[in-house]
Amino acid sequence: MLVKLDEAVRLINEGKILHIAADDSLLRQLPKGKWIGGTTPYFISEEGGLMTKERLFVNEIDYAEEIRVESYGKYNIFQIVEECYDNGLTMLIMPYGSLVATKYAKEAPEVEELLMHPTVGWISGFDLTTNGTASVYDGTRGVSYTDKAVAMYIKLPEGKSAMINMINIFSDDKTDPVIRFYDNDLSVTKCTVNGQEVTFSEYIKKTGIDTKMPLVADYNGSYINTSIKDVADGEVSFYAPVFRNIEYRFAVNVDDYAARFREKINEAGARNPVLSCNCILNYQFGNLSGQKIPPYTGPVTFGEVAYQLINQTLVYCEILEEEPK
Amino acid sequence: MEVAVKEKVEKILRGELRYTSANLAFNMLISKMQKRLRAGSVDMDTCMKEMDEFLAKYPIVAKVDLANIAAL
Repeated sequence: MLVKLDEAVRLINEGKILHIAADDSLLRQLPKGKWIGGTTPYFISEEGGLMTKERLFVNEIDYAEEIRVESYGKYNIFQIVEECYDNGLTMLIMPYGSLVATKYAKEAPEVEELLMHPTVGWISGFDLTTNGTASVYDGTRGVSYTDKAVAMYIKLPEGKSAMINMINIFSDDKTDPVIRFYDNDLSVTKCTVNGQEVTFSEYIKKTGIDTKMPLVADYNGSYINTSIKDVADGEVSFYAPVFRNIEYRFAVNVDDYAARFREKINEAGARNPVLSCNCILNYQFGNLSGQKIPPYTGPVTFGEVAYQLINQTLVYCEILEEEPK
Repeated sequence: MEVAVKEKVEKILRGELRYTSANLAFNMLISKMQKRLRAGSVDMDTCMKEMDEFLAKYPIVAKVDLANIAAL
């Protein structure tokens, strides 16, 4: 829920465990307490998508048995798989453009055990009309970072599990050309298209591909997007890395972005997501300002974490409870 | 895991049977195991051990997947 600063302060002072997203000008005014946060002024609220530097988005984590908060740099980020609770949820926030976010983006898919530990989160950002800086906050210590990730480890009671899922409006057409890349990278010059080496930027220009459409990779029916950031000087850069040995195709064109989004949301049928974050590219390309997409309220982010870093996707987490025997 | 279900999971990992879960992590794991098997970097027993560990860790979610796979 979106709250004013005094309400957020009250919740912290009451000892609530919180996940908070807001503009840096608000986060820096918060007192120490059991919270983590990241910067963004964009939100999907109960009132619809909006940009505000006057209010904070707060999720109360009232399902935790206990929590711990730690921060990590690029050299130790993958300690998260060792330091998390055995039955828990890891909530991870990383600053946009930081080395730790890049390291996580490139290497997470190959980290042993990562899929055994539900890990959800987002990349913090800033007002796109400014040259802002993305930050994350460890409220337990009262510190912020632009170069570290902050993780909240949430221990879940016995009989409860975290399930992370996503809503992705994109899919591929299996008859379209297969694109492969040589390495795990955030920018490329060369790739192969149906086995033939090409300069990727030239291929995009020649075929007139709409670069608002991401590359998609089929992970056993779950489509993972890689969005194109820029095509310039013979180089194509991405918001999340491409990986070697993965088959990509450009997503099938989506005519009515917002309508397709609503359709997918209805299909997903999540009842009570405890956290959701939606990509800034969905917000922009889907004109989500003013649009309501219940029950998925939360920050609009510069990348989403559903185990690995993904983008142009809505990621959410639900807490499932074992049925009584 | 029951023998009949185990055989079907092995077929899924070999790409002979298609099953998409509602659980993102399970799909990611299947995809990862398929990739490793294709590359020859692991054998089926290792993959099945990892699948077993995953399913055992999340019984609430696994129950649905195992029932769906059994029905394939």
